[in-house]
Amino acid sequence: MKRQKTCGYTCADVPTGRRTQLLLLLLCMICLSLHAEEPQKKKEKNPVFYGVAVSADLVGFIMKAADAKYANMEVAARINLLDKFFPVAELGIGDCRREGAETGNTFSTTAPYMRFGLNYNFNKKHNGNRLFGIFRYGFSSFKFDIANESFSDPVYGTTAPLHMDGLKATAQWLEFGIGVETKLWKFIRLGWSARYNMRLALSRPEGGEPYFIPGFGKNDDSGWGGNMNIIFDIGKGSFKSSKEKK
Amino acid sequence: MRRVRLLITALTLLLASCESYDCTLYNYVGLYGSFYRGGSAVAISDTLTITSGRKGIVLLNQAVGTSSLNLPMSYWNEEDTLVFSIKGNGYQARDSVWIAKSNLVHYESPDCPMTLFHTIQSVGSTNEFIDSISIIRSSVNYETTENLRIYLR
Repeated sequence: MKRQKTCGYTCADVPTGRRTQLLLLLLCMICLSLHAEEPQKKKEKNPVFYGVAVSADLVGFIMKAADAKYANMEVAARINLLDKFFPVAELGIGDCRREGAETGNTFSTTAPYMRFGLNYNFNKKHNGNRLFGIFRYGFSSFKFDIANESFSDPVYGTTAPLHMDGLKATAQWLEFGIGVETKLWKFIRLGWSARYNMRLALSRPEGGEPYFIPGFGKNDDSGWGGNMNIIFDIGKGSFKSSKEKK
Repeated sequence: MRRVRLLITALTLLLASCESYDCTLYNYVGLYGSFYRGGSAVAISDTLTITSGRKGIVLLNQAVGTSSLNLPMSYWNEEDTLVFSIKGNGYQARDSVWIAKSNLVHYESPDCPMTLFHTIQSVGSTNEFIDSISIIRSSVNYETTENLRIYLR
């Protein structure tokens, strides 16, 4: 009996029927409190895996169709985590055909490139619009050709065609930028981004500087770039905003 | 949102259309040399003419008081032959100089003139008024420092 004297009155003092009633009451209270908390939790917490999306950069394809000096044609895939973090992989083909206006020098390359990185969504509302901070690491290993059909020695007067084909180079770079994205229709989105590119490394053959780095753009220490993406967003993230509006 | 779209599209097009050329301004590739006698630099007081061997292209024409040289090299020849002729009061002398080299295309951009850099491998000469030639810097490129020292008799 002594062992049971832990509170104001002992459990042994409570009759058995009363004990069962108290237990049931306690269970009911716990159940009610759990039911009351459930909808709040659903509202506050987003699922970790919110969906996936694939996209294509329209600018590159338009530039290629318009016969621009160079174009980066790329597709991308990304995962939506918590509608906040978006790990991204971008894969593309850089294409450049360029002839100097006065020199007769030509440069050409067609080579793949890839980028990996993360988009961070600053918009906390799930209203279909996203404002991104962008970070990427880019890499390309490519071959390029340099030529001049009438390369002449101004002093000694010899003229001969010059061809240097299959020169190998590799480049790595980082990209930082901002992007916006809006919903067009159901799972189709349109996004824009502006990025600052910073070249980390470039290995190239002696005497042959590549004019263009696939995925990076014109070869320089740094540069600016932009994308306009059509995005197919599949998953909870793409449909949630339309449900919320209803 | 519409304004933002327009602004971003305009910026994208603007960025795609901007371009600048960063060509090297001083893009002359030349062989630099100086004349020495008895360990010190000298100037040739007589008239000096330098021609390229085979075609006789004049590289330096009747220069007086020459202490240093700045000569173009051939783009593709593996060896340049230069003829040094000096003419003074009542005398003249001639020496041939052979410069063996390798050639390397130097390409910066489609918009910049392409040129060739060279690496001097060996130098030799006849010895009428030239005693010997030593290579100080084998790379012939945009740098303007001395490549050869020509020791006179």
